Amino acid sequence: MKKALSLLMAATLALGLAACGGNSANGDANNDAANSSDASGDGKTWVIASDTVFKPFEYTDASGNFVGIDVDLVAAIAEDQGFNYEIKSLGWDAAIAACQAGQADGMIAGASITDERKESGWIFSDGYYQATQTMTVAEDSDITGFEDLSGKTVAVKTGTQGAAYAESLKDQYGFEITYFEDSPTMYQAVLGGQTVACFEDTPIMASSIKDGDLALKILEDTANEGAPYGFAIFNADNQELIDMFNAGLANIKENGKYDEIIAKYLG
Amino acid sequence: MAETNKQVKIHVANLKKNFGDLEVLKDVSIDIHEGEVVVILGPSGSGKSTFLRCLNRLEEITGGTVIVDGYDITDKKTNINKVRENVGMVFQLFNLFNNLDVMGNMMLAPTELKKATKEEARENAMRLLKRVGLADKADAFPAQLSGGQKQRVAIARALAMNPDIMLFDEPTSALDPEMVGEVLQVMQGLAKEGMTMVVVTHEIGFAREVASRVIFMEGGYIVEQGTPDEVINHPKEPRTIDFLSKVL
Amino acid sequence: MIQIFTDYGPLLLQALGQTLLLTLLGLFFACILGLIFGIMSVLKNRVCNVISTIFVDVIRGVPMIVLAFYVYLGIPYLLKNGWGLTGFVPTALQAGTICLALNCGAYMAEIIRAGIQSVDKGQMEAARSLGLPYWKAMQRVVLPQAIRTMIPSIINQFIITLKDSSILSVIGFPELVNTAKNVVAITFDSFAVWTIVALMYLIVITLLSRFAKIMERRLNRGRD
Repeated sequence: MKKALSLLMAATLALGLAACGGNSANGDANNDAANSSDASGDGKTWVIASDTVFKPFEYTDASGNFVGIDVDLVAAIAEDQGFNYEIKSLGWDAAIAACQAGQADGMIAGASITDERKESGWIFSDGYYQATQTMTVAEDSDITGFEDLSGKTVAVKTGTQGAAYAESLKDQYGFEITYFEDSPTMYQAVLGGQTVACFEDTPIMASSIKDGDLALKILEDTANEGAPYGFAIFNADNQELIDMFNAGLANIKENGKYDEIIAKYLG
Repeated sequence: MAETNKQVKIHVANLKKNFGDLEVLKDVSIDIHEGEVVVILGPSGSGKSTFLRCLNRLEEITGGTVIVDGYDITDKKTNINKVRENVGMVFQLFNLFNNLDVMGNMMLAPTELKKATKEEARENAMRLLKRVGLADKADAFPAQLSGGQKQRVAIARALAMNPDIMLFDEPTSALDPEMVGEVLQVMQGLAKEGMTMVVVTHEIGFAREVASRVIFMEGGYIVEQGTPDEVINHPKEPRTIDFLSKVL
Repeated sequence: MIQIFTDYGPLLLQALGQTLLLTLLGLFFACILGLIFGIMSVLKNRVCNVISTIFVDVIRGVPMIVLAFYVYLGIPYLLKNGWGLTGFVPTALQAGTICLALNCGAYMAEIIRAGIQSVDKGQMEAARSLGLPYWKAMQRVVLPQAIRTMIPSIINQFIITLKDSSILSVIGFPELVNTAKNVVAITFDSFAVWTIVALMYLIVITLLSRFAKIMERRLNRGRD
């Protein structure tokens, strides 16, 4: 029962680990974290939308603060470039909608830079984090690579890079794909044996396994080349923001601030 | 009064029936012999319908003994379905099976209970329908019949099982006055043929003409019984006199 | 939209097939459960009544999405980690069928109970007075009449169940909604995809309602 309780807690923790570059189920935005930089700019306050929970890129910590790699990066870049901003934690779908409707100027939510997105109107900054996707199996699983998947079923989350990765391998290795809407369910399906493996962004997976004490292991060899995460706008008029982001990103990479932030969250 | 040389078909001793806290039958004892036509009179709430329904155990019996056709029906081990095959019942509201036509109503029990093949059951049903004057209604559904026709079919349906005993629970109470006669006529015919009958009714005329014995019930007891002449024309008990003065 | 339909129509139609398969399986077992628990609730037996009431109240009191997670993940987890039984790992189809059967079964039980109770008590008494055993009387006299009054509610419940099957997208069963979400993720055209999906449901449900009307008319022919 104790074990059940800890799993329940893990599930709760991971619950809402929202879509990695895909459609998240929880669209309601109730976590308006207003992190304003104190640097004085030209007076305009840029509104930046984000997901609610996409650990470790953005999430609410135990003391109720909205934190994460994305949050710290924006803060560091704004300081470097001297602009005012406000982060709104809206959820994945709502963040996109807010940008499209002009209620937000840009979004940062661990969004992978893809051609499909560019074609459908996303305008990305330079990549700020290279995220790979990997396959994860149960700790006691015999599966060591894609060759062992023949005739088996794997779990993915709808619309994610992990899903795209699995789809690209499906025919070659002859496995089936089951689509889930959220990460906790997907992990549970691997833990419970309903599926033999799942495909997920590596940092998300690592963070979830660590925080949830999940009996899962990442097969490092299965990582793909990955795609970079980018800051995005949906309105070309906000090109100034992208420019500032790119310039600031270059600066903090140079002065070591970037590495500091990554190390803080990913060890 | 009773034809003691004939077989006892129904033996009731110290019958009690409660509905929750309400004692409907307090202590009823009676023997009914083969071929008797027993008419039960009494005000509403006297327990006469409940008494009748105890005779085929449509009501669970609270106490006492009821032996029907040699079977002790208060004994849980008795197969009540076997007993009921030989005890026909006719209800105030006819209770024809609405999902079946007249022929279906007549054939259901005999065929389901393997009393007859389909052909035999059909033949027998036609014979009985002719007898109640409804041969032309074999294909009709209950909803298409008048009250009197329904009740005649109901009687024929009970007869299709070839019972030894027939129970009638106020068979004419729900009928329009002009239809009462046709039903009573069928019942009278049955009585003439020697069917053992127990009839709960308000038809004093029928009791007077057809009954071999009249029972007056009130408050869960049999208050008075005897020949129709004794009970209806010369009642002794004040409660019987009072009741008859109201209905006659 | 036409482009999306030509590209993804076959996939969505296949998913619709999965939706129908799941729904039919669910309904089949729901009818059995509904009949069992519906009859249990009208028996003159306290234990049966209570069991039936508990079943109906519990299932009706739990949202189907919770039931879905419970059957698909929760129970196998308990069996494995609590009792050391590893054999019971349902597929999404099995878990989905169980969920629909339980959920729809509870509502069916209520419909059947109400249907049986709507049949005049005298029908059962008359059948029993002829010597028919309880079950025979139920089967030949009471149920046929009860079913006639139940048909509209049952068809309605079928339609609800067909729609509810979309909830099972959460456990990864590749029914219409699950597949459609996937197509949206690929095409980013929410409007076209959901319009196609809505039309697919609409057509199937309209046909079902039509069929129900015809059934009802046929059953009522020559009666009343």
